[in-house]
Amino acid sequence: MTVLAGPVPVADPGAAGTSPLPEEFGRTSRPASVGGLGAVGTHLLAGPAPGRGEHLGGHAARWGPLPGLDGTQIRALLRSSGLDGRGGGGFPLIRKVESARLAVGDPLVVVNASESEPASRKDRTLCSDRPHLVLDGAALLARAVGVEEVVVHFHRGAISSIRAMEAALADRLRGSIADPRWRISAGPDRYVSGESSAVASFVGGGEARPHFTTVPLAVRGPSGGPTVVSNVETVAHLAAIARTGSDAWAARGAVTSPGPRLVTVTGMVGDPGQVLELTGVCTVGDILWAAGVATAPGAVLLGGFAGTWVRGDTAWPVPFTRDGLRHVGAQPGCGLVGVLPGDACVLAETARIIGYLAGESAGQCGTCVAGLPTLAAGWEALASGGLSRRGLRRLRQLADTVDGSGACGHPDAVVRLARSALDVFGDDVGDHLAGRPCGGAGRAPTLPVPATHRAAGHDDPGAWR
Amino acid sequence: MTVTIRIDPTRCRGHAICTLFFADGIELDQWGFGQILARDIDAPRDVRRARRAAAACPNRALVVTTSAAVPLPTARGR
Repeated sequence: MTVLAGPVPVADPGAAGTSPLPEEFGRTSRPASVGGLGAVGTHLLAGPAPGRGEHLGGHAARWGPLPGLDGTQIRALLRSSGLDGRGGGGFPLIRKVESARLAVGDPLVVVNASESEPASRKDRTLCSDRPHLVLDGAALLARAVGVEEVVVHFHRGAISSIRAMEAALADRLRGSIADPRWRISAGPDRYVSGESSAVASFVGGGEARPHFTTVPLAVRGPSGGPTVVSNVETVAHLAAIARTGSDAWAARGAVTSPGPRLVTVTGMVGDPGQVLELTGVCTVGDILWAAGVATAPGAVLLGGFAGTWVRGDTAWPVPFTRDGLRHVGAQPGCGLVGVLPGDACVLAETARIIGYLAGESAGQCGTCVAGLPTLAAGWEALASGGLSRRGLRRLRQLADTVDGSGACGHPDAVVRLARSALDVFGDDVGDHLAGRPCGGAGRAPTLPVPATHRAAGHDDPGAWR
Repeated sequence: MTVTIRIDPTRCRGHAICTLFFADGIELDQWGFGQILARDIDAPRDVRRARRAAAACPNRALVVTTSAAVPLPTARGR
């Protein structure tokens, strides 16, 4: 059975287990059971309503005390659960932990609470509303790696998240929990500064810019020792796994995408930025339905700004799992689902996102300094109907050059987004090339693309500390 | 011996000196930054050329590693 539980329950929690929805809705919709909070203590977002925060007492009452597992036991749980990273890369946490334990030097454990993806809200939701779950998971991760200290890293602008986390830490000190030493770190607000090697570099005293590495961070990070950087949601899941066991946790997902998963729904929905928790195999349609979208939209952006466009009707029946999304060329990424109505212009939305991402590079590699601005300008022209067929060919060639040529995955992500827009919305591309940009090109943006930081001194070395 | 060559794109400033030493293995992209054609090299002559190219880079952007350069796992109980 599919269960969707959100911080804003879409149905009366009392109706959990029954389906308040019609069995069938249109051609594309699938019957979905939209319940309340599900089994108590098995969902990350179970508990008080959003925005209320949570004290240690309430957290402990719902989840029980932090289990006194040793490192070996925690690693066994990580292994058997198959917990994968939820920041975007989807890398199994156990492999980072084992690399760090085998490597030379003192390991550094960092919980990455940057959440650079501008439309994503899941990590800040956890930090504000379920901080103790995050800290429990971080404490367990520290034990699994064998370190005494954990760094929790934020963007400097995430003031409410930082405050919530500091309040939770004070709470834990009073509760005399066997915790590691905590260090809160706040770095530059830029998009690439949330990338794991940039975070590792900043925490190690360097600039918050991605690092070129020939060995994984978990083997040797910028500080010299192995560095385990793990996303907030990932460690929160670890806290849940330690209570429920890995089987019960994994059963709330698919075989290849074990465990529950947090997603953020944005764009043309009633409550853009709402965070939903998937427990069980949910399709993109189930997610959209829970967000109040009754029929397949024109297009969905899956996985983040560094994600992939898919046609709404193609995406609707696809399970939001690693395997399911692979069939439509997408990945879960940071769990973003961006909804675009049929009359909006995918190319114009893509051009805005590419413009943003191009402006948010670290300005280190040739491909980001020279390639991305050219790519962004080409997309700008395509969106406004001012690009020729030859220009489009050059734009495709440029994408091939840019792909895989940077120190981090930033340029690759831009290329992936661009290609998916061209591949999936070829008809629109033809119209734009013929000088007939669709009506949606001139309308207000649907996806929330912030202003870039480029204007704020791209080359100022101080900007990266 | 097989070596792996990589260009640190954060260091490459397009001096292009590497291509003088190892034209068969490195080409320049459209902006003049170096691009590796084949990452793993085993022909002794090419390995020599790659090492010379790396030594000649004014910005130390070309990295030649052997498998031994990767930190070996050590048994370490924690």
